[in-house]
Amino acid sequence: MIPEEFGRVGILFAIALTFPMIPLAVSYLFYITKIRPQNPDPVKQATYECGVESEGSSWGQFNARYYVFALGFVIFDVDVIFLYPWAVQHAEMPLGTLLKAAVFMGILALGLVYAWRKRALEWR
Amino acid sequence: MSHLPASQSATPMLRQIAERPTVRGALMRAPLPVKVFGALFVLGFLALNAGIAYVVIDGRLDGQWYDVRDLGVGVGALTDWMRDQGVPEVAVYLTSAIVGATGVLSLVGVWLIIGPWLERRAIAKFQVRMGPNRNGPFGLFQSLADAIKLMQKEVIIPRGADKILYFIPPVFIFVPALLGWAVVPWAPEMTYTDLDVGVLFTIAISSLGVLAVFLAGWASNNHYSLLGAMRTVAMMVSYEIPISLSLLSVAMLTSSMRLSEIVAWQSNYNVWMIVILPFAAFAFLFSSTAEINRTPNDIGEAESEIVAGFYTEYSGMKGGLFMAVELGNAILVGALMSTFFLGGYTMFGLETWIPGYLILLTKIMTVYLFFVWLRATLPRFRLDQLMGFAWKFLIPISMVQVFVVAIQASVLARVDAPGVFVLGSFAIINLSMTILLVRLWASRMSVSTIQQATKPILTQVVGGLRAAEQIRKPV
Repeated sequence: MIPEEFGRVGILFAIALTFPMIPLAVSYLFYITKIRPQNPDPVKQATYECGVESEGSSWGQFNARYYVFALGFVIFDVDVIFLYPWAVQHAEMPLGTLLKAAVFMGILALGLVYAWRKRALEWR
Repeated sequence: MSHLPASQSATPMLRQIAERPTVRGALMRAPLPVKVFGALFVLGFLALNAGIAYVVIDGRLDGQWYDVRDLGVGVGALTDWMRDQGVPEVAVYLTSAIVGATGVLSLVGVWLIIGPWLERRAIAKFQVRMGPNRNGPFGLFQSLADAIKLMQKEVIIPRGADKILYFIPPVFIFVPALLGWAVVPWAPEMTYTDLDVGVLFTIAISSLGVLAVFLAGWASNNHYSLLGAMRTVAMMVSYEIPISLSLLSVAMLTSSMRLSEIVAWQSNYNVWMIVILPFAAFAFLFSSTAEINRTPNDIGEAESEIVAGFYTEYSGMKGGLFMAVELGNAILVGALMSTFFLGGYTMFGLETWIPGYLILLTKIMTVYLFFVWLRATLPRFRLDQLMGFAWKFLIPISMVQVFVVAIQASVLARVDAPGVFVLGSFAIINLSMTILLVRLWASRMSVSTIQQATKPILTQVVGGLRAAEQIRKPV
């Protein structure tokens, strides 16, 4: 049964979320029992930047080249996921499906060649 | 303590180093009863297994709860007993799930204590030093001491950080490291959930790590954190495609996405997938190191340039969790690598006689020590080299390989020859194709595969690097 199987995954998910909270909880316990110090002051809480004061917030614009790679990832990874149902079934299918899959993968490869030629894969 | 010929060492310091406890030395100088008891315990466990295997194979008994080769049988017996007692179905289901989850958790928990010690000792061996050897026997309690120390450290929350998002990543980054274990088969009956989309599940789960990493970098509001997070995310998403493509070849050849069936296929044909698909195995292994941010691909937390990368602002136990998850991921990747490419819990019939989980554990440790070896040997790659390696090398060659494997899978389903000849020819074809493509790629990308022998020339002209490059000629 599919819901039962994923129900087990859900239980593991819940336990996986509690597992890293145990050391954090112990850490908090140390804070309550005064074992762990907690003396915040403005200098200590400043943004770390190797001793100099940090200039401005980092919640701003960043380099667009990351965006190009993210786009490429979305295109390729989604298309590869589409190939999986075919991959599992295709051994029993007639050979014509191989040709169709070749067309699909050819379009993917064309996309890669296009991105390559447009120098989108260069790290500039 | 004076068991070694310390008098042979030249200086007092060397003598002191020679006298420090080591694992091998302790094994050698353990008292005789301890040695005998340990050897009897190990031999008895294996003999018990072999005896049960003999009785079961002989047909005198069916596999029962006492079959220690497969702990899943014991859980099955427990749930059957509970059903007989009239316990509601929901409680039985919850019990079996919680027993399995506890098994996974205890494995990861024990590993998080032993793993750092093992890694540091191994790295120390590579660098000809001792490594941690003070806390407990051979320094085994080092990571426990580290954990206690981290828990006692003051928690510093930067003023600029996002007040809610800052607390999510240290917890959430553990989810992929633990959830990935759900589909790993340890023995025929010993899988937490044997999903029929297991391969897709592992890919989906491994993508979750990106979210936690970027959340950490963004919420910290620190330039280093954001840089590290951006680099890590760009690297992780790039290397996810080679992973998907290499697992696609595996799924295509085995016609299944269920991990237990992939293992059964390899056991059935008596061959490891790494022999048939060498390039896919390499792509998976290398991309996995990028996926879990391990050296040589740990550009996102390169401590020599951007402090600690995406977890610069996390102090105390929160930072410790980020460091711990790397080790947890490392054995998960080892388990997946063993399952997909190294035959999983099977070992050419050996799994009948000794427990499958011990075989899988051995393979995981082998892959893990390979990772440690890589870490000790290779320097860190530059980001543009890494991205180029994924997009210009791994992805095109993987795509070619996927298509070749598609043809091979059709052939395998139609030809009625013995598997040895068919798969043997596939292995030869794939290996030669890989070598050909790599050489072709190297020549096209003008990367010489054979290093020219150059004699180091001292710069005679004042003028720096450019002058030195001009006068340097291949010998």
